[in-house]
Amino acid sequence: MKISYNWLKKFVDFKSNPQEIADILTFIGIETNIASSGFNWTKVITAKVVSVEKHPNADKLSLCLINDDTNDYHIVCGAKNIAAGQIVPLSLIGAVLPGGFEIKKSKIRGIESEGMICSAAELGLAQKSDGIMVLPENTKVGVPLETVLEPDTIFEIEITPNRGDCLSHLGIVREIAAKLKKPINMPIIKQAYRVSVINNIKVESKLCLRYIGAVLTGVKVAPSPKWLVDSLEKCGIRPINNIVDITNFVMLELGQPLHAFDMSKLASNKLIVRNANENEKITALDGKQYSLDNEMLVIADESKPIAIAGVMGGEYSGIDENTNTVFLESAIFDSSSIRKTSKKLKLMSDSSYRYERGVSWDICEQASWRAENLISQLAGGHLEKREDVKNIDYKSLEVLLRLEKIEKVLGYSIDEQKVAQILRFLGIDLQPRLGVILCSIPSWRNDIKGEIDLIEEIVRINGYENIPQTDENQTKKSIGINSYFPKIVQSFRHRLYGLGFCEALNYSFSEIKELEMFGLKYQYKIANPVSKENEVLRPSLLPALYKNIVNNIGQGAESVALFEYGKIYTDIGERKTFGAIMYGSLWQEWWDWLAKGCKPQYDFYFGGGIVKNILPDKYFSISENLNPNPYFHKGKTAAIVYRGKAVGQFGVIKPQIAKDLKNEVFYFEIDVEDLQSFYEENPVIFNPFSRFPSVKRDISIIADADIPFTKIESVIKKTAKSANILKDYSLFSVYKDAQKIGKDKISYSLRLSYKNDEKTLTDEEVNQDVNTLLEKLNQELKIKLRD
Amino acid sequence: MNNIEEIVKKASEQIQKAQNLEAVEALKTQYLGKSGEITKLLKSLSEYSVEEKKKIGALLNCAKKDIEAEIEKRKEFFASFETEENMKKERTDFSSAFSFNFPKGHLHPISQTIEDISAIFKSLGFETAQGPEIETDWYNFEALNHPADHPARDIQDTFYLEGMKNLLRTHTSPGQIHVMENQQPPIKVIVPGRVYRNEASDASHSSTFHQIEGLSVDKNVTFIDLKSTLTLYARNFFGFDLDIRFRPSYFPFTEPSAEMDVQCFFCKGKGCGVCKGTGWIEILGCGMVHPNVLKAVKYDSEKYTGYAFGIGVERIAMLKYGIDDIRLFYENDLRFLRQF
Repeated sequence: MKISYNWLKKFVDFKSNPQEIADILTFIGIETNIASSGFNWTKVITAKVVSVEKHPNADKLSLCLINDDTNDYHIVCGAKNIAAGQIVPLSLIGAVLPGGFEIKKSKIRGIESEGMICSAAELGLAQKSDGIMVLPENTKVGVPLETVLEPDTIFEIEITPNRGDCLSHLGIVREIAAKLKKPINMPIIKQAYRVSVINNIKVESKLCLRYIGAVLTGVKVAPSPKWLVDSLEKCGIRPINNIVDITNFVMLELGQPLHAFDMSKLASNKLIVRNANENEKITALDGKQYSLDNEMLVIADESKPIAIAGVMGGEYSGIDENTNTVFLESAIFDSSSIRKTSKKLKLMSDSSYRYERGVSWDICEQASWRAENLISQLAGGHLEKREDVKNIDYKSLEVLLRLEKIEKVLGYSIDEQKVAQILRFLGIDLQPRLGVILCSIPSWRNDIKGEIDLIEEIVRINGYENIPQTDENQTKKSIGINSYFPKIVQSFRHRLYGLGFCEALNYSFSEIKELEMFGLKYQYKIANPVSKENEVLRPSLLPALYKNIVNNIGQGAESVALFEYGKIYTDIGERKTFGAIMYGSLWQEWWDWLAKGCKPQYDFYFGGGIVKNILPDKYFSISENLNPNPYFHKGKTAAIVYRGKAVGQFGVIKPQIAKDLKNEVFYFEIDVEDLQSFYEENPVIFNPFSRFPSVKRDISIIADADIPFTKIESVIKKTAKSANILKDYSLFSVYKDAQKIGKDKISYSLRLSYKNDEKTLTDEEVNQDVNTLLEKLNQELKIKLRD
Repeated sequence: MNNIEEIVKKASEQIQKAQNLEAVEALKTQYLGKSGEITKLLKSLSEYSVEEKKKIGALLNCAKKDIEAEIEKRKEFFASFETEENMKKERTDFSSAFSFNFPKGHLHPISQTIEDISAIFKSLGFETAQGPEIETDWYNFEALNHPADHPARDIQDTFYLEGMKNLLRTHTSPGQIHVMENQQPPIKVIVPGRVYRNEASDASHSSTFHQIEGLSVDKNVTFIDLKSTLTLYARNFFGFDLDIRFRPSYFPFTEPSAEMDVQCFFCKGKGCGVCKGTGWIEILGCGMVHPNVLKAVKYDSEKYTGYAFGIGVERIAMLKYGIDDIRLFYENDLRFLRQF
């Protein structure tokens, strides 16, 4: 909202400059910035022209002697209107004019000029000007120009939604006056006595609380005087004609929206405030037609609605140059009804904005009189009839304020007298009693509903800077959960980070089309998305992570390895989920490896290794993926199991999905929601180790390709138990070749590590154990040693 | 037998002067070989009495060990010299050793910021809590003293879910309600998490972003505590040399409410582009928990008071790292992620 500094000054006598006013307001909770200021110069003073002579070298220039009461200045001037005796604005050497134009000592046609006499345009005070600016004769000489002019400053003010009372100059003035402890000078508002009553306003709806109507006859519609046009334009409102401008002026001044109808255009003299009929139509002043429903309030004549109450007037009843009789409305409508109507119709106005935030019972009446006065003054109207329909019995709210409660909330005490003073300057009537104050809240402060609101008023006006500071009692020790990331997630994050992965964060939304590509179904659809990318809540972390890979590869990345922790939204609700995706070269190209023809890529095995690496303990294992997610390659996927329960899946993305990428995309997703509830950190207990050397044996075996490796592993583990010298094994090669090892066969190469905790092993002992293992593998799984 | 000492002395000198391994080997033969000087003396021991044998034998053995040690020392010297020479030949340009880019991991600036902020509050005695993102009107608005059809709801454009009455939380404040419903005071928690606003995204708006909510409720928790604790947070996070100020503001669920500003850390308050010339940067919103909120969770608002605050994580991260477009956080471009 735009507020004029000069306008504020009419209400309160203060000396604070615009910046000080902006600071005062900001520090009592009304964020205020200077939008434009008239003071856009420095070092410009008032001075008197002592004499004017012709420039010896130029016909159109004059040499002027200027005096500022202490110094003389020799100025070369080109203006025709300059004359001795004038008082003029003089920019001295070093002055900066609007636009950053700096005045320097210079020679003009051979004669030095010690400054410049300015025109109004040069000072930014007018669009165009003819010659220099001449100040009134009685202007003080030798003072900064800005002290004798009255350039206005416009503030841009942000009003929080609870402070409808501040949406006017009066509202802002009340705040300044309360802070500065100064009285407010209200404009003179004359209330006419003995006006005949209209008797033809009928309020039929409870949504209208008060309706004041006035009929003014003999009105001459014309353009508004300059001061009125200026006042509106400064605040960003387009002037229309004197009547409409007066209603807007009073709204800007007092905060009450007003509306003027042309009586002659109405179908009847009777005005009805009623709920609209279902599908009733009205063409508003914006030229658009609106279809109403019966929760909306209208002002109507006997045939049709003439205004959407509190939102916008109807086109056909508007004021124009032929209007003679004006019906002026000042009313109070139910805030939430206006808000609903404005939302439904998608129609906002200065009026609806104020009604939504609430208007004042008292100001409603004052504004009506104020506008009637102005119409009489400026448009020659005569107040013929008037009526004030009160639909409720208004009483001001009374709130009890306990002095001890102030200290309880704030933590420090404020002197009772100071409390009373602050509240009084806010327009609150007080009746102090023992330890309590009965406060009567003015009708414009609809945000003050209880004791706590009064406490805020006190601390706000007293100044937040005056709240003392201490160290809060920090006795309560922090216990329990202490991270945004569950422990298991923290462990995943740190391990992957160490492995060179980057952490990603994606939006929680997906597009349906995108999900279809991955065979995913959404569970939650957004009812009112502003953009398509917010169509549904993501049911998996994959689609966005996949897109991240494609984008990065498109931007020239050779490999992308990302992980993300966040929520997904499935048929069992919102789930904390951890996912990671990897694609491309494992390492950058390196000459030594290139020479050896080695250029490893992320694939099923490497990805599985990553999963194994980050799972924190032996209670995690993998098993066949019986119910793979639809996006996994059916032959390259596995389930992640923790203590017998499936908690995640990993695998290679289906080639149909990843068709644009050359190599395998590896992805895994772990359901943290479930896991975090039963995951226990495995306590570390030191295990004494044997210092006897270990013996390694490499074996290659051939198995039927359909035997899962986990089965082979379980035989190895079982066999190892009996002699207890096979301590560890690792798989280092997997190989398929129909010609060399036979169709449907697979070869595994294993490195076995043997050790005896009590003595050094002999070759024989190891060989014997290897043979036992091979026998077992052969017996149970028909596995043979490869030649 | 004085000459044993002399022999050792002479041998040592010769060994130390030997110029190569062959010379050392020759000296070894000369003294310790089959007909070497020491060997000869040992052979001649039979000429002496038993007592003398013992004595001279011991001396000779000593001499032998000394010479052997001297030989070993000289041999090691040559070996080491050779290694040194080899290393000179293997000299590699050190700068090429700095060109292999072992993959380096990076944590997202948003999670880093959440963790940095959380760590400070943790040190101030706050626990961490979390709440659902899919919320009801009650938790997101009603319980937080946002009446229906109140303009305060306009500040937060809400995503509603189709076919149900639920919505996506517009702030982490519903976390306050969940915590208070499940627990009696004293309460001191922060609630970090994702929040959603239904608006088109641009450089400064994002439909998804993060907040950290804070709540402290107990007997005798006052505005002084709020101001002191949040000042302590801001000093720890932004720097101890910066001024901090509180301005009155409005949030439906707190009363009195405030905004906390910290002196601009780029220009130290002089005014610059980041602080739009004001010298101050808005950091968080806060206030004393509104009695209506305490009533909504059936707390006795006469007995308990509390304060609450909310921090926008993206905003803080943008300020901290000088990021000018919020969308960068969600693009996951490696050229962005790798900078943190």
